[in-house]
Amino acid sequence: MVKELLESVVDKGAEYCDIRKEKWYRTILYLKDGVPETVVQGEEEGAMVRVLYGNGWGYVGTADLDILDRTIDRAFQMAKSSHKLRKQETGLADIDIKQEKVKMPMKDNFMDVSPEEKLEFLTDVEDWLKKDFVNSTDLRYRDLLVKKEIITSEGAYIEMEIPRLVTYMIITGKSDTVQMATQATGGTGGFELTKDAYDDVEIVLEMLKSLLEAKTPPSGKMPVVMDPHLTGVFSHEDFGHAAEGDLVASGNSCLKGKLGEQVASDIVTIKDDPTMNGYGSFPFDDEGTRSRNRVLVKDGLLNDFILDRENAWKLGMEPNGGARAEDFRVKPLVRMSNTIMEPGEMSFEELIEDIDKGIYAKSTSGGQVSPAQGTFQFNAQVAYLIENGEIVKPLRNVSFNGFTLETLQNIVGISDNTDTGIGHCGKGQSASVTDGGADVLISEVTVGGRE
Amino acid sequence: MIEESVKVALEYLNKQGLEGDVFGIRSRNVSYSIMNGEISDSTEYEDMGLGIRVLKDGRIGFGYCVPGKEERGVKKALELSKLSKKIGISLPGERDAVTVKTFDPKVQDALEEGIGADLAQKMIDAAYSVDNDIIPTRGEMSLGYGTKVVGNTKGVFMVQDATIIDGSIAATIPGDKTSLMAGEAGSSRKYDVNFEEIGLKAGDKVVSMRDKETIPSDNIPVVMSPESIGLLLYFGLIPSFNGENVRKGKSVYQGSMDDKVGAEYLSILDDPTADWGMGSFPFDDEGVVSSSTSFVSQGKLTNFIYDLKEAVNSDTESTGNGVRGSFKSPPQIGDRNIIIRGEDLQINNLMEGRVILVDGVMGAHTSNPASGDFSVVANPAWLVEDGEKKGRLDGLMVSGNLPESLHSMELADDHKKIFYAIGSAVLKMEVPSIKLNDVTISGK
Repeated sequence: MVKELLESVVDKGAEYCDIRKEKWYRTILYLKDGVPETVVQGEEEGAMVRVLYGNGWGYVGTADLDILDRTIDRAFQMAKSSHKLRKQETGLADIDIKQEKVKMPMKDNFMDVSPEEKLEFLTDVEDWLKKDFVNSTDLRYRDLLVKKEIITSEGAYIEMEIPRLVTYMIITGKSDTVQMATQATGGTGGFELTKDAYDDVEIVLEMLKSLLEAKTPPSGKMPVVMDPHLTGVFSHEDFGHAAEGDLVASGNSCLKGKLGEQVASDIVTIKDDPTMNGYGSFPFDDEGTRSRNRVLVKDGLLNDFILDRENAWKLGMEPNGGARAEDFRVKPLVRMSNTIMEPGEMSFEELIEDIDKGIYAKSTSGGQVSPAQGTFQFNAQVAYLIENGEIVKPLRNVSFNGFTLETLQNIVGISDNTDTGIGHCGKGQSASVTDGGADVLISEVTVGGRE
Repeated sequence: MIEESVKVALEYLNKQGLEGDVFGIRSRNVSYSIMNGEISDSTEYEDMGLGIRVLKDGRIGFGYCVPGKEERGVKKALELSKLSKKIGISLPGERDAVTVKTFDPKVQDALEEGIGADLAQKMIDAAYSVDNDIIPTRGEMSLGYGTKVVGNTKGVFMVQDATIIDGSIAATIPGDKTSLMAGEAGSSRKYDVNFEEIGLKAGDKVVSMRDKETIPSDNIPVVMSPESIGLLLYFGLIPSFNGENVRKGKSVYQGSMDDKVGAEYLSILDDPTADWGMGSFPFDDEGVVSSSTSFVSQGKLTNFIYDLKEAVNSDTESTGNGVRGSFKSPPQIGDRNIIIRGEDLQINNLMEGRVILVDGVMGAHTSNPASGDFSVVANPAWLVEDGEKKGRLDGLMVSGNLPESLHSMELADDHKKIFYAIGSAVLKMEVPSIKLNDVTISGK
């Protein structure tokens, strides 16, 4: 019936129409200082309809699946109105039209795990975090199963199930000031992912311990070594956003017109790969395009962008599965998935041995970027002062900024070890992502400090 | 329809002899995206749902559902209540309501009549009109209205409609190496946003960025626009007034009640009873009647905010700060309509001498909410000498500590209402431009 409704819109003159129906199942648990404070379960469903008429898009989302015919008609009317306002031509690049059903695997299906068992897991982790320097713990567990159907007027039918699970550990301690350390673990999969949290307990404890001893950092320009987690965030924030096709096509990216040019030091290779195991993995994007690895930078040369169908059409390129929507309430945007800077050949000791005064920065408490201007800012969760090739003392409140292209050219060393972290990227909508890489030496970055 | 659904859920609770509350929301929003100098698309969404909280033997369970599935939502909440700790919160009973203006029919009419596109076009045309090199590369205009309902088994049943209209635009001057970009935004619950002025201001700002200045690392005073200081305060200071953070030692203000924490002219309050405030509403998301809470009055620390649960833990009363992110989220302590007041100096007074004017910050969300330490990129920023913009400053970092800055900050009279979403956080504030006199600048 839906297929007929979509076809009827095309019969009325629309270029294209699709519908994305979603059903969401969530469990959320908060354990604060060992007390189960929030226990939530729920489910919801809805649909987003997209219609392209001439050059105009109309998007309508609804939580009422009984009125799909009216929803589709409304989207058609809105697309016609948008067409009247839009002078620039648009279109959709071709993709392989697929009819497939895909379930991303769960070794241990979290839908079969009781809330009691999930709470036991958090309580167990809380026990591991009990140390004399930890004043307060805040543990959060969330699992989420999304069942999607994507049906297009071109004949595509994709049915997929994507399970994601995440655990946050937030611990607080006090020395001269209150300090907080956080760690997130999880990915795309089932309850088996909770095992990773135990591995990360030591990491978050070590970060808090260092923060409680840490001093404020120096300010000014200096060499910085980023750990693999921060390298991941750097690759995502500093470079990845500028490689999003919608920003490139609309003149909001510093990478516009630079395909094939050297944009980073020749030891840098960055990929965005939704097919690898990560928190940002998916088999098809939200337009029904099969996902694939995107090598964005290869040996310093700009090699690809992240692309949905419309922006691929505008740039004369092939769509590569870059369209993601937070849920059925919103239209898909061009988004990253699992963004990784490939490892190099140096050891950590080799990276820092020639640094007279610099900073070793670990993990992150967030970052922000202006892709159009090619500028970025991000914070390390904890950092260490490097003097004469050695780690000297911990630092807190270390923040960096710079220009994307200049900083990528200033990468002068990459280690041979790798690691990844997970998080949520905001671009008006939230998207689950993995970021990762190796230890990376940047010869000069502006550090914001109070000394 | 949402009112009926809340009543149905309450009936299920009453039939089973359960105590609980039900939060319902229905909203409609239409937005127009601006990309590359023109309106690229329009999006409409209608949302509705229920959050159901059951209190059983002093334990709390929470479920959510869509209208029509109320019984299932109640059962799920009841089942989950077994897992929580006994806390014994007390739901509010019926009380005299307060009147707060939140709904302007002109906004709803504008949405229904589809004139949002015209308003978005006004912003675009105005930005173009400032300079031939300007492209309004990104922006959005949106109109929305909705109904919020909170009811409980003690007889509380409150319903109110609200509207919102807002617009934002980024004006860009493309360049070979790097582009110049500046933005402007406006939000209101009333149909009083001047979209032409938003476009003109964005254009004027980006044109004033053409000349470039450099400064060395130093301790130069910084004048922050309402948007930029609002972001910093939201992430780096306001969490310290949260009663739970105070109780758990995650606030610099633990044990500081009645202490002098700021300049004697400084007041910080959360007032959801202010008519047309961006976060104003006559009741909170737990059915507590709204009232104003003062955090800092004439420089002295006066109070913190509490929801029903934290009021029990802290042995006090709820301040009406039970806030839900959506119907899917249980209530937690949240600020509602933050207002910052000070000396009401003219903005020109703040610009005397050599200062840095900051109109946007990157990385405010990386501030330490417990200590108030921050280190952000100022973008856009200008060097100003005796009120005259000398040129833009690139890559400037501003670092400091907000609780310390409260003692010496100077406040202008250009109060602006801010409604701004960043990640899952939504700023609802009224704040003026503020001069910070004790920050460190990392320059060139």
